[in-house]
Amino acid sequence: MRREESLSEVTVGRPPLGLGAGRAAVQALLLRGGPILVLLLLMGYLSLASPYFLTVGNLKNIVQQSAVTAILAVGQTIVIIGAGIDLSVAAVMGLSASLMAVAVSYWAQDVWVGVALGLLAGTLAGFLNGVIITKGRIPDFIATLGMLSTARGVALILTGGLPVPSHLTATQLRAYLPAEIIWLGSGMLLGIPVAALAALLVAAAGWVILQHTPLGRATYAMGGNREAARVSGIDVDRVKIAGYALSGFMAAVGGLVLTGRLNSANALMGEGLELQSIAAVVLGGTNLFGGEGSVGGTIIGALIMGVLGNGLNLLNVSAFWQRVVMGVVIVAVVVVDQWRRRRFVGP
Amino acid sequence: MTDGPAAAAPPPLLELRGIHKRFPGVHALDGVDLDLLPGEVHALLGENGAGKSTLLKIISGAVPKDAGEIRLDGHRVELRHVVHARALGIGMVHQELSLIRSLSVAENVVLGSWPRRPGGLVDWAAVRRRAEEVLAALGVPLDPRVPVGRLSLAEQQLVEIARVLSLRVRILLLDEPTSALAERERDRLFEVIDGLRRQGVAVVYTSHRLGEVFRIGDRVTVLRDGRKIGTLPARQADEDLLVRMMVGRELHERFPKTAAEVGASVLEVRDLSAGALRGVSLVVRRGELVGVFGLRGAGRTTLARALFGLQPVAAGSILVDGLPVRPRSPADAIRAGIGYLTEDRRQGLVTLLPVVPNITLATLRAFVRWGVLDGQAERRTADHYVRALNIHPPLLGRRVLYFSGGNQQKIAFAKWLCGRPRVLILDEPTRGIDVGAKSEVFRLIGQLAQQGVGILLLSSELPELLAVADRIVVLRGGQVSGEFHRGEATQERLLRAATVLSAAEAAQAG
Repeated sequence: MRREESLSEVTVGRPPLGLGAGRAAVQALLLRGGPILVLLLLMGYLSLASPYFLTVGNLKNIVQQSAVTAILAVGQTIVIIGAGIDLSVAAVMGLSASLMAVAVSYWAQDVWVGVALGLLAGTLAGFLNGVIITKGRIPDFIATLGMLSTARGVALILTGGLPVPSHLTATQLRAYLPAEIIWLGSGMLLGIPVAALAALLVAAAGWVILQHTPLGRATYAMGGNREAARVSGIDVDRVKIAGYALSGFMAAVGGLVLTGRLNSANALMGEGLELQSIAAVVLGGTNLFGGEGSVGGTIIGALIMGVLGNGLNLLNVSAFWQRVVMGVVIVAVVVVDQWRRRRFVGP
Repeated sequence: MTDGPAAAAPPPLLELRGIHKRFPGVHALDGVDLDLLPGEVHALLGENGAGKSTLLKIISGAVPKDAGEIRLDGHRVELRHVVHARALGIGMVHQELSLIRSLSVAENVVLGSWPRRPGGLVDWAAVRRRAEEVLAALGVPLDPRVPVGRLSLAEQQLVEIARVLSLRVRILLLDEPTSALAERERDRLFEVIDGLRRQGVAVVYTSHRLGEVFRIGDRVTVLRDGRKIGTLPARQADEDLLVRMMVGRELHERFPKTAAEVGASVLEVRDLSAGALRGVSLVVRRGELVGVFGLRGAGRTTLARALFGLQPVAAGSILVDGLPVRPRSPADAIRAGIGYLTEDRRQGLVTLLPVVPNITLATLRAFVRWGVLDGQAERRTADHYVRALNIHPPLLGRRVLYFSGGNQQKIAFAKWLCGRPRVLILDEPTRGIDVGAKSEVFRLIGQLAQQGVGILLLSSELPELLAVADRIVVLRGGQVSGEFHRGEATQERLLRAATVLSAAEAAQAG
């Protein structure tokens, strides 16, 4: 008898902690919407604190600036859910962007050839990360740290340490980057920055992969319990390699967008973005040890970072202090998030 | 049913009154009372999900109660943390081992209370000595220097027990301490418990082996669905009464055996050598349930791992449906039609994920339509198995983490049923499962056999094997030391084959 009672109690979805219906809604928001809540609170505060914050121009600015971080963070999400970490995303981005720019400006290649080369280089770098980790049996952290340095080095060799195209080369050779690349980074489509649309597209792809493909499911399983995934017939090495290759590909896409925004590529572009991408992933509620997380959360995480940076600029906080505030906010949000999960998700 | 001690009994050491605990979706404990007397062994019985582990965790301070009162020596206490409970003399041995695999046996035994030398440095000689003392008291011949990760599950369990004993506890909580132990180790553990009882330690003890209750228990408390059904002296209880209290109904057969038609061979192993295995041959036919018995280290699990591509095969051949296969990975084995329910269920489940993806994990390919997973089909399939296996609570979106041990095992089972294997290898499928669930598991195995699946059941539970197996193969030292048909197998014969050297071997050994 007792079993039937508890069964029906469960299936009608009574709030688990025995709270009223109104508090249940609040609880659901606290349970699922932690990162969104942070973003909304932050935006609410900034729209009161600065008259410029809630203007179309400023919001466009924010999504444009968050786009590159978001693109890198989507790949990072896949890797982290699979219990890995990719420290090389920003360096790989620099390498593929440099290769693309060198190809179109120095080697006088068609823009599509340049883009294809850049995407290929990024994917290959990610693929190598995965192969080195799985076949060389070394920690993800070390392998991608090595790739970080290697990719930056190769990019420096390719570009000679100069921006491509630089003022010097631009006057001597071809004028500027092809219009398509500039459009990707700074153009507008239907009133929305193209960079933001590119980020949305990458996020959608990441979401489909993680939620709706066998590869995504295998990634969650591998991140949650590698041994169980293996015993269930999943080729964990292949899943890991595929995750890093995707991360490399997305880093390359991010490189194209950033090059378009800066009007040139350089070997050291986006330094520090690897840590920003990891911060966005964690702010979005993904477990840094793997097995749980979502692309949606990551996008929110990237927006939190973008809004915060923008807000600090609007409030005239010095660049030095901005870094301090960023660091404190990242840690504080994750501390609160961990507390929230323990409080509302049982033992 | 009498509740509480007779008038002359000493005052209780620990009193629990009206303990409540809710987890999302379940009322795990619903107003439970419990008294613990000094120097008693108190058996706690109940089906999976009845609330035994939760109750122990509350006493040990690992999980906070939602409501109720705990009194220790008559004084009200709030057990907020494991460290706090430990300081009050309450120690717990967990069902799921909580050892640090990379540290040595000695380091694990003294973990958290390292002997110090003046100046605050760890006194490593004292660590070794203390570990040796405790292990000797337990009668366990383990080298304190060996990393725990290299020990077998049973040895790890003993280390875990040694660790808690080294804390000199007044209340010892044992959650299924014997589920991984062999007969002899279990006897030794009972001697240790007996010694503690004489020193006035109160021991709370959960087990799924009812026989142990009569052997070691003074009083028994039965829980069902988070409620206390009753407490009674072990002397006044019998197995039927306890089973009735636990499941709330008569259980007709504890090991139901369904007759299945035995057909052509589905699995044939010829002269297989792998790891410690040397020249093992055996056959499993369609619809046949072949038991594999052996003591620890006899090679049971190695056999399973070799068949499943987890252990490199040195020599010999494996045939499924008459076709030779050489699985190099679990994926190969699954493709060949082999399923493997691992001994340690945590090794087979992704507990962070909900029920659905766990059930479909080994058969993901079957749910792919145009490159993406058909979530609806996945849910339908999972729902089917959740109903068929009576997984409780039947919440498809609930993380596996929050299910009780027996229900987790059923989920692991469902994962393999989904793939419709030709051969299913079950490694201790009833380890840590209660009577009701055990009987369900065997009914399920019977149904599979009727559908023509060949089943290889690796078990150390002789009564189970004798009740359900059509044939039993005995392993000893990596070799087949006997094979018995249903009817000719007896407990004595199997044990003899598993332990005693034959006359010829004895002569050879000199």
